[in-house]
Amino acid sequence: MPAPTTRSSAHAQRDPLAWTVALLALGGFVASILLWQDGGFTLDEPWAQQLDLRLHFSFDGIGALYALLATGIGAAVFTYATAYLPLHLDHQRRPARDRWRFWPWMGLFSLSMVGLATAQDLVLLFVLFDLTAVCSYFLIGFDRQERASRVAALMALLVTGAGAVTMLIGAAILYADHGTFSIPELARALHEQGPASTTTTVAAALIAAAALIKSAQVPLHFWLPRAMAAPTPVSAYLHSAAMVAAGVLVIGRTYQLLEVSQTVTDGLLVVGLLSIAIGGAISLTRDGFKQVLAYSTISQYGYVVVLYGIGGRAGAGAAAFYVVAHALAKSALFLTAGTVTMATGARKLSQVGGLWRELPLLAAVSAIAAATLSALPLTVGFFKDELFFHAAADHSTALGILSVVAAGLTFAYTWRFWTRLFLGPRRACDRAPSQPLDRLPLLLTLPIAALSLLAITGGIWSAPFVQLAGDAATATLGHHAEVHVAYRLAASTENLMALGAWALGALLLAAPALWRPAALALAHAGERVGPARVYESGLNFLNHLSTAFHDVEVRDLRSRVAAVLLPGGILVLLGFIATPTAGAFTVGSVSGTDLLVVAMLALVAVAAIVVTTTHEHVSIVLALAVVGLGLATVYALLGAPDVALVAMLVETVVTLVFLAIVAYAPRGERPTRRELEGHASRPHRRAHRSRRWRDPLIGAIAGGAAFLVVWASLSRPAATERVVDQQIELTPAAHGKDVVTVILADFRGLDTMVEITVIAVAVFGVIALLRRGRSW
Amino acid sequence: MTLIFAIAAGVVFGAGAFLVLTNDLVRVVAGMVLISQSAVLVVISSGLTRGDAPILPTGDKTPSDPLVQAMALTAIVIGLAVTALLLAIVARVRATLRSLEVRELARDEAEHTAELEQSLDTMHEQLASDEAKEEQ
Repeated sequence: MPAPTTRSSAHAQRDPLAWTVALLALGGFVASILLWQDGGFTLDEPWAQQLDLRLHFSFDGIGALYALLATGIGAAVFTYATAYLPLHLDHQRRPARDRWRFWPWMGLFSLSMVGLATAQDLVLLFVLFDLTAVCSYFLIGFDRQERASRVAALMALLVTGAGAVTMLIGAAILYADHGTFSIPELARALHEQGPASTTTTVAAALIAAAALIKSAQVPLHFWLPRAMAAPTPVSAYLHSAAMVAAGVLVIGRTYQLLEVSQTVTDGLLVVGLLSIAIGGAISLTRDGFKQVLAYSTISQYGYVVVLYGIGGRAGAGAAAFYVVAHALAKSALFLTAGTVTMATGARKLSQVGGLWRELPLLAAVSAIAAATLSALPLTVGFFKDELFFHAAADHSTALGILSVVAAGLTFAYTWRFWTRLFLGPRRACDRAPSQPLDRLPLLLTLPIAALSLLAITGGIWSAPFVQLAGDAATATLGHHAEVHVAYRLAASTENLMALGAWALGALLLAAPALWRPAALALAHAGERVGPARVYESGLNFLNHLSTAFHDVEVRDLRSRVAAVLLPGGILVLLGFIATPTAGAFTVGSVSGTDLLVVAMLALVAVAAIVVTTTHEHVSIVLALAVVGLGLATVYALLGAPDVALVAMLVETVVTLVFLAIVAYAPRGERPTRRELEGHASRPHRRAHRSRRWRDPLIGAIAGGAAFLVVWASLSRPAATERVVDQQIELTPAAHGKDVVTVILADFRGLDTMVEITVIAVAVFGVIALLRRGRSW
Repeated sequence: MTLIFAIAAGVVFGAGAFLVLTNDLVRVVAGMVLISQSAVLVVISSGLTRGDAPILPTGDKTPSDPLVQAMALTAIVIGLAVTALLLAIVARVRATLRSLEVRELARDEAEHTAELEQSLDTMHEQLASDEAKEEQ
């Protein structure tokens, strides 16, 4: 294959942003290897101490395994994307600067994956878990001009985000019981406690649910096939080695919290088996490249979940090993799909065939990846199935048989994918090749070759993989665990099971008539009544509900006011119910000038009622003025001359402005806009006769509630220690005599400054509103 | 006196709450004014001491609590700003929409929003059909 010569790929090699992210991932990979060999490290810093949160990271076995995955697969996929993304943008006629919507999120994603892999605190785990969901939202929705991408991005965010919330609830339950979020401490506490209580089981189930949703397990798997709307490198990274791996990572990390409950581990077994079966069966029926791979991912993570359900040394070690082997193979296959699409423009298996003639190198390296996934010898994949068979057969015979069927399914859909792509007759694709075959950038094949090479290496020299899985199992179980794999040329159980699986797979491949109707029926049933439907109708329902609330709340001022008053009133009422009433209310004494105050307050109350009874705007304004001036007099009588003077001034100004507004356009004289447009004015008052008693009632209730609250608060005994004496004492020091003035200008000067700002903002608002009117 | 203050504040607040719920924008503004008056009255009456004005020299008698007076001043001035803004909005609404009836304004707005949404829907349908054509 010749060196890349096209404009786009030449541009790709110059893109410093892309290469920076790719090199950072590579650097992270090398650093992770060194750290792992060095024995890891632990970082434990206080974070939010009142909440008992700590920044607790530990680069242990699990941390090493997933950090190596995130950075290693990341480096390969990013290198691939340096060539892929410019072509992708080119095809969509999008500007090159859109790569800024891609690379930073990819980088942040791998960083949060590494953080997630090492986090030792449930809340920290939740935060990083959610961060990966946020990144995935932007990455899946990268082709934001396409509706399918946007829908898929939102679905992934909502579904996995809801999962993250269940994890937080589980964490909160555990914290309530044991007073810590730290996973190692919780594990210790739970094991000392003995058999799991119901609350522990619920908490463990919630955490497990979050993990299962993230790993796209049945029945909440539907977001993953939709997420295939993402550009291929995103699928290859997120949906093989990172995002979906985060789920089983959480299971591995919190395993000691989950294993105390037999219910939860049994649940893992059931969900995992269902995912293997449903994912595998539907994968066999799909036509789109990435759809086949997405359903196979669901099925493959089902294996891992089953292994954690089996548990123990065999289960935990096999699960860790499986994750690595699967990630290598699956990301290589995803990248293969992307390269084929780039080369031919096809996206479906029915559109291609016989590509090995044009793309021999790609055919060879992806055959290795397929062999790894279907567990053929000489690849690391063989050992993943050996461990799987061993654990399953040890658990029970039934599970052993099921595991053979599962492996047969894997064999069938993997080779169906590969043979349809590369073997058979060359099919004419109705679309013109997007990229001439002879100009396909080499970088669209080399990363796949690198991943396949790694898979072959693992098949021959399995020691590093075995050590990695053993370390991860040690971290998962909390005590030393080792993984042993080897080729045994004997009729051992595992070998016989593998032979059975290959035979079954070959049979499935050779005779599609046997299973195709059933699998198609399953897929159709899933589309018609499956969980995706529930999600859609749930989302629609929420949309309608929010529109209905919006209509009620926003389209009518009255409802908006009621929406504030009513909950406020209910809260006050609850407060009253909860508060003891004995001695809470005092009448107080009336003496001296108080009689004048009482008289003025009576006048104020009468004037306030008058305001409500009249519809004439001028009377309203005048009655308002009586209220304001009456209160000003009350303030003067209570020894507050400053307040009285200001109130007098403000009242005068407000009255004048109010009168001006009212006098400017007498009410009812002008035609309304509706009448101007030729509509007949509708009789409102009659239509709302039922409301005649409603508003006064609400007003009376509000007034009554206000009265009770004010009375209760004024009846509280006076504080013995007061700041007033201090303030009076300090007033001369502030060069003033009026204590109120000094408080405003000096002691609480900042308040006054903000107040002046508010006035200034209001003045600007008034000017803006009035100057554009015809009145000025 | 405690009871008297509470009754007065309650009556003024209730009148304000009733007015805010009415159909006429001018009365709504009047209601807001009354509610803020009631609040100022509560602040002033919550003073711990009552007596002469807190202006030096105060003599032997305890003066009125100056702290609540400072707060009441702030509340009054903010109330003025809010009232001015509300009145300006009222003037503006009448100048442009020629109505101060809350229900009528709400209905007009609802119709306007419906029109907007309809045109938006038409646009979406157009886009969708374009996409479908491209697919074919």
